[in-house]
Amino acid sequence: MPTVRLRDAEEYPEPARRAFELSKQWFNYDFPQPAAMSRVMAWDPHFGGPHGRAMKRAMAPGEFSRGEKEMVAAAVSGVNACGY
Amino acid sequence: MVGDALWYEAAMVVGITNALNVVADALGPLMSPAKPGPDVAAIYDEIRAFYATGGEVPVPFGLAAQDPGYLGDLWAAVKRAFSDNHLSRRVKTALAFAVSLTTRSAFGTAFHLGELRRLGVGEGGIMEVVGVTQMFSSYTKIADTLQLEPDMGGIAPVDHSPAPASEPRER
Repeated sequence: MPTVRLRDAEEYPEPARRAFELSKQWFNYDFPQPAAMSRVMAWDPHFGGPHGRAMKRAMAPGEFSRGEKEMVAAAVSGVNACGY
Repeated sequence: MVGDALWYEAAMVVGITNALNVVADALGPLMSPAKPGPDVAAIYDEIRAFYATGGEVPVPFGLAAQDPGYLGDLWAAVKRAFSDNHLSRRVKTALAFAVSLTTRSAFGTAFHLGELRRLGVGEGGIMEVVGVTQMFSSYTKIADTLQLEPDMGGIAPVDHSPAPASEPRER
């Protein structure tokens, strides 16, 4: 169980809700609520904003495709024993 | 990256990479590689050819060669895991590099970095893997600290294809 209460999308201000829409497009999936990590990052937009931009830059297709990078991300998460 | 076959392969690369790294990092500085006798010469030749090394055999194989039977099986698994299949060797090496970096393996990081370069991945491509590794080393720790529960596990389609060399089952 999370150690914090994850706020519903409606509890966030408008700029965060716009970011949730972008997040939905990024994942191409219609979550009932934005992904937990998106809501965590929206808590502090001065951290979450640049962190998210760095992630999207890192995940953009280059020498490796977005899909290949998702696999790298999954492997990194796996060896970090991250259940999320 | 649709279909379970890719992910089974990725998992095997991650596992065997870690297996090589733990031994190389811990014992590489403490033990000497076995002298290649006739029973390991053919395996050593295969290893050298696979990695296009001049004469050196990577540390974990040299250590495993104390028991030629063990080396043979270990090498067969490594070769299978890293050979082109559903995933390319290039992508598998990128996975191994990311895993090595994440687990702070000095052997694995240097070895797979060298392999990526040898396989034609440029510095930009290497930094792409570094960037993904770095960002997800952040996300995972944020998620763990807050004990977030998975909410994206079900977004991928289920692969109902049968296990290799078997018939499809009725669903």
